Amino acid sequence: MEEKQTKISARDDNYTHNIHKSNERSLDRRGFMKTMVGAAGLFAVSTLPWGAVAAKKLITGENDAFPTKKIAAVSALKPGDAMEFAYPSEHEGALLVCVKEGEYKAYQNACTHLKCPVYWSKEDSELLCPCHHGKFDVMTGNPLAGPPRRALPEIELKVENDAIYAIGVKPYEA
Amino acid sequence: MKRSYRGVLLLCLVLFLNLLFTQYTVNLFFAQRYELTIVLAAANLLTFPLAWFIYRKEKRAGQ
Repeated sequence: MEEKQTKISARDDNYTHNIHKSNERSLDRRGFMKTMVGAAGLFAVSTLPWGAVAAKKLITGENDAFPTKKIAAVSALKPGDAMEFAYPSEHEGALLVCVKEGEYKAYQNACTHLKCPVYWSKEDSELLCPCHHGKFDVMTGNPLAGPPRRALPEIELKVENDAIYAIGVKPYEA
Repeated sequence: MKRSYRGVLLLCLVLFLNLLFTQYTVNLFFAQRYELTIVLAAANLLTFPLAWFIYRKEKRAGQ
């Protein structure tokens, strides 16, 4: 540590001569600015993989092709009934609801709040999450009540040969 | 020596831009809007030289 300076003219006195600890000014203004530059670099690098994967998807034209999967026979569901299935993978739960005769709606049933499984409440005609009483509209998947703020991802369906098929998941809208 | 917090404020602004770009990059990736994802990731990359430039400029100004 330097010796204490003496004789500082008032013009030059920048109040640094009274620093006695060796690391007292380790985070001064310049140090802070260096940290900010480092953080900017870190952020820049962190988005690289997202950009790279996006570019790869654009180039290969791979657009998340979803499998076509048979869920149930039309005769298995009466109006007001619901059944659980898994789509697109084995580990993603989904819910198919027969809203009325011949009209079906299906959603991935992980609640958009904390991923609890949403179930179909036949009495109230609502999709209900039992964890925090989140409710979703069965026609649109939009949240109606409780903590969730985002809609449930809707699964696209087709009815063919008296069976209901899942053909895709609608992309999340930002 | 007169204190100037211009560099600190400008770098805070750059970091805020970083936050916005990162957030939107991730969101738009999941929305499958890949062109915008790439644009935002590139914009996020460009903030680093910008931050470096501001730092250099302020360092020189302080000397």
